[in-house]
Amino acid sequence: MDAIEAEHLVREFKNGPRAVDRIDLAVRSGEIYGFLGPNGAGKSTTVHMLTTLLPPTAGTARVAGYDVVHEGPQVRMRIGAALQEAALDPLLTGREHLRLQASLQAMPRNERRARAGELLARVGLSEAADRKVGGYSGGMKRRLDLALALVHRPPVLFLDEPTTGLDIQSRTALWGEVGRLAREEGVTVFLTTQYLEEADVLADRVGIIDHGRIVAEGTPAELKAQVGRPSVEAVPADPADRKLVGEILARFGEPITSAKGVAVRLREGESDLAGIVRALDADELKVEHLQLHQPSLDDVFLAKTGRSLEGEAPEEEQSARPGLAMEPA
Amino acid sequence: MSFAVARAVAWRTLHNVFTHPSLLIPSLIFPLFFFTAFAGGLSRVRDVPGFDFPLGYTAFQFAFVVLQSAAFGGVFTGFGIARDFESGFARRLMLAAPNRAGIVLGYGAAALIRWLFTVAVVTGVAFAVGMKVGGSGVDLFGLYALALLLNVAALLWASGVAMRLRTMQAGPVMQMPVFLTLFFAPVYVPLSLLKGWIHAVAVVNPLTRVLEAGRGFLAGSPTDVGAAFAAALALAALFSLWAVRGLRNAESAG
Repeated sequence: MDAIEAEHLVREFKNGPRAVDRIDLAVRSGEIYGFLGPNGAGKSTTVHMLTTLLPPTAGTARVAGYDVVHEGPQVRMRIGAALQEAALDPLLTGREHLRLQASLQAMPRNERRARAGELLARVGLSEAADRKVGGYSGGMKRRLDLALALVHRPPVLFLDEPTTGLDIQSRTALWGEVGRLAREEGVTVFLTTQYLEEADVLADRVGIIDHGRIVAEGTPAELKAQVGRPSVEAVPADPADRKLVGEILARFGEPITSAKGVAVRLREGESDLAGIVRALDADELKVEHLQLHQPSLDDVFLAKTGRSLEGEAPEEEQSARPGLAMEPA
Repeated sequence: MSFAVARAVAWRTLHNVFTHPSLLIPSLIFPLFFFTAFAGGLSRVRDVPGFDFPLGYTAFQFAFVVLQSAAFGGVFTGFGIARDFESGFARRLMLAAPNRAGIVLGYGAAALIRWLFTVAVVTGVAFAVGMKVGGSGVDLFGLYALALLLNVAALLWASGVAMRLRTMQAGPVMQMPVFLTLFFAPVYVPLSLLKGWIHAVAVVNPLTRVLEAGRGFLAGSPTDVGAAFAAALALAALFSLWAVRGLRNAESAG
């Protein structure tokens, strides 16, 4: 049984376009599913429907085996969610938040204290546990939010842009924790992100959403393979050698444009790289720069939508606030 | 499961109220201010011809202040609900609570406990300044029971507004109708002394029955008890529908 299933899921808002337009999803148990798309693509709306926060306009969805419309309470008992904005009560401490969350989930009283301590340690907030959340940094709030989502050991976890606003150290640590949850605890993770690297590093499979529709789906490798083979770009040390270097590279693939030097799309893939190095060396040609370009998920996004995703993230990157580094699990 | 959710929501609301004076003091100050201002400043009203309340003006005003504190206690909790929606914290509750009706129940329990604290202080002050009570403990319980129903009704009204508008700017919408309903009842003098349009409004105001019955309990001669409880229960029932539909509205909005 799939942990998350959706069929022809639609959400329309009054006087607006379809935020989500007949999407189908099938996320296997224990899988990390990356839901990639630019701002406004429909990622969060999809998460809100799957977590029972928003009723679908049409279509059906089941999470952990339960219908999100008709069996909302059963769904909520089996999911954890860290949404885009970590809405916390500034008047409560981190430990009090965990106590509240455990109470809401009807966790036995004698388990609450130990579970709170365990999760606070896991997200590196033990020392700040008894401080009011109003004084936490953005990164600390994110990590507390993740801990809150895990209180009742949910089999399905929704993370809506969990690393937006985090510094690279916190982001990497959070990736490690998410990966561990899926590998060691078998938690199914539905992760929305607009960071290509995040989807590439974390996700077993990726769905790319744009204008409310899934435009591509598969493993990162499959998606990149759909776009094409890798390419090699070489910049000769002596500009006069440009033609000779181009001739050698042409033996390995079809020439493509390069701003600085010469480049070819490799016929056999990255295994050609060694042959190129040997051929250049045999002709005693020196290069100041030789680079293998693997197709990226942005290339996939570009191929599927005609737009690049790379330009979408910097706005939030720039507003990223430093947070404390997460302790390793 | 509903009770687990209700207990958690109530704990958090009360924790914040009792650990942050800025949240506690307004709900305490209002009834004390009204009691002091009305019972003290207007005490000579007892000498007005036709004023027939046997226990004097302090007890006459005490009944109103108890009901007013109950109603405002419910509204203040509504402010907290609106604040939770505005900050996004309500979404966390909706996401974590398997049974969402428990959220409203929890806010209700918090409003009730908060009011019990307030009314204990107000009652203590009233007895300290020499208020006389004609009725027995059972009669006093009747007054508090009416106030409790009013607290629930006001909370349900305010929570319905909060869940529909989901912003702190909804505060006046929650407070103003309660304020007007309270003050269009015979607050300063008995109903029989009111004249003109205010008398006409007071006669049809359901709060009038509740207030008159409350004063009757205090005096030890309960009057209109059935009508008063019926009015209070009807308000609570009406606004429970309003609140449940508000919850559905908030759920639809996500």
